[in-house]
Amino acid sequence: MSTDASNEVRLAAESAASRAAHSAADASSQEPSGPSSPRRKGLSERNRPLWMLIPGGVLMIIIIVVPLLLGIFMSTLNLDQYTLRKWVSAPFIGVENFVEAMTSSPLLHSVWLSVSYSLLAMVVTLPLGIAAAVATQNAFKGRAVIRSIFLIPYVLPSFVVATVWRTMLQPDGIVDKALGTVGIDVGLWLNGPQTFWTLVLVQIWASWPFIYLLALSGLQAVDHEVHEASALDGALWWNKLRYVVFPYLKGPLSLAFLIGMLHHINNFTLPFVLFGVPAPADVEVLPILTYVTSFQSFRFGLSAAMAFISLVLIAIPLFVYLRAVKLDDAESPGAKK
Amino acid sequence: MSTSTATRRSPGTTDIPRPGSKRQHEVLRLLPGPLLTIILLFLGALVLIPVLYIFLASVNSDIGVANGEFWPSSFSLDNYSKIWTSVGLATGLANSVLVAGATAVVSAALSVSTAFVLVRYSFRGRLTILRGLLALQSVPGTLMVLPVFVLFSSASTYLGIQVIGTQWGLFVTYLTFAMPFSTWVMVTYLRGLPKELEEAAKIDGASNLGVLFKIILPLSWPGIVVSGIFAFLLGWNDVLFASVMTRPESQTAAVALQIFGASQEGGAIPFYGQMMAAALVCAAPVVILYLIFQRYLVGGLTAGGVK
Repeated sequence: MSTDASNEVRLAAESAASRAAHSAADASSQEPSGPSSPRRKGLSERNRPLWMLIPGGVLMIIIIVVPLLLGIFMSTLNLDQYTLRKWVSAPFIGVENFVEAMTSSPLLHSVWLSVSYSLLAMVVTLPLGIAAAVATQNAFKGRAVIRSIFLIPYVLPSFVVATVWRTMLQPDGIVDKALGTVGIDVGLWLNGPQTFWTLVLVQIWASWPFIYLLALSGLQAVDHEVHEASALDGALWWNKLRYVVFPYLKGPLSLAFLIGMLHHINNFTLPFVLFGVPAPADVEVLPILTYVTSFQSFRFGLSAAMAFISLVLIAIPLFVYLRAVKLDDAESPGAKK
Repeated sequence: MSTSTATRRSPGTTDIPRPGSKRQHEVLRLLPGPLLTIILLFLGALVLIPVLYIFLASVNSDIGVANGEFWPSSFSLDNYSKIWTSVGLATGLANSVLVAGATAVVSAALSVSTAFVLVRYSFRGRLTILRGLLALQSVPGTLMVLPVFVLFSSASTYLGIQVIGTQWGLFVTYLTFAMPFSTWVMVTYLRGLPKELEEAAKIDGASNLGVLFKIILPLSWPGIVVSGIFAFLLGWNDVLFASVMTRPESQTAAVALQIFGASQEGGAIPFYGQMMAAALVCAAPVVILYLIFQRYLVGGLTAGGVK
């Protein structure tokens, strides 16, 4: 029984992830084909209009691939505001930029900040998102409105979120006033050592709806029989959630975890607008450090090296993500396992 | 067992229980009522209080906002008339609409044809391209901004084409960075379309282009809208590239607001009211787009997990 059940749960979670993507397509789109259904046999090999790939391909080569290689090349040059104009003939210094980035720059501190801030934000958003999804799963009056409201933080552009929180967190601003009425004095939000927690808090506010969305798509996969069975067994709500419903969420939530981490680590706009540059040392996350090194200190070569190192860092969750995605048979980037 | 009354549902259907059936409701219940109410109230307040505050602060006086008033002591809509010139929102919004709008249209068009080839034809490197589409969505912008900047400034040095500081540079950049996700959205969408129609059209002698224009396009407009909107949002929300590659006259709304906010530091009381009014105006188009296309967009979000 237990193996059977767990197997079913796994399958359901998979199809949940795949359906989440599939609903991007039309809700009315028929054919609920599972991830394992054999479908790719009919791919045509004759008369292929491959030229249609050219416009997008050319764009991506010029604006993504070439700059990527250029960035790697620049990371080996001694580039500053004087040599940038003729960057081709800038002095070649090999790996010196990388050595400097690793040893005498705040890079390692930034890596630590980026990773810990992303993880902390993720750890809080997960339960928030799950709670929201579980609470809005069943129909009640006004559910559509609540669901729309829950999406607002995610819908708002990052620069708007940051501008608004920046205003609310000013010294003696609304947040300080509100906390003051209950006798809490936190101190400065936008300067000094607490800025790290400010960043985490605002990121949590902005990104829990994403977890909510993916958790919701996982809940759709819970079959009706499962509800019936646990009702017959008289399962308490907590046990039902813990042992029956949550296993369905594992797939979508691991996906959400990976993508969310990538988003957080790559998030430039939020810290940039929230704190401005130069940012306080406690929020100098990787994107900010790279940006400041380029456009404030004009150490372009060093910045390129930092960017390259952060790409390596990104590559870890990215690799896991790409491995987990079925490119073809599944309808979507669902977790494969 | 009384399964006769229970509806057996295939995995493809939605989660909504049979309306009007109390028993169904009890069976499907996940949380006890009080807890559910607490969660909804807490999360609702978490979202709505800041949102309400933006409205209230935008009609408040700057001193009122600085003193931490929630409810304004004086109402005034002046801020909404000032921001067009003081923040530069008139130029900013015009540029944002132009650049993001053009990005949306072109990216949607390109992504349909690209996805069509990727989904319906087999060729060497197809899987690599699919994988690349996913990978490219996660390339950090901070990694790209400097090389792209250098590339564009080289274009003016060596080719005599001025790209930096124009809307063209932004447009091309956003278009390229929007393409991977837009294409992925279309790939997932086109996979859901039945192939039979295309086959029938081919038997009737339609060319590849004919199939694309006469069959695919009319059938896939919801997907096209979604991929276009995501491309639009990418351009609308970007601060990084726009802050490096624009001049005052080609600034987007995002950069205009960011610069206005940053310039308020120090000295007198910042123009909080105008900042909030401008923030609201910048957010409005995005929120409206979401509300209109919510049904499709939510699916698109979970498909690629990109904002």
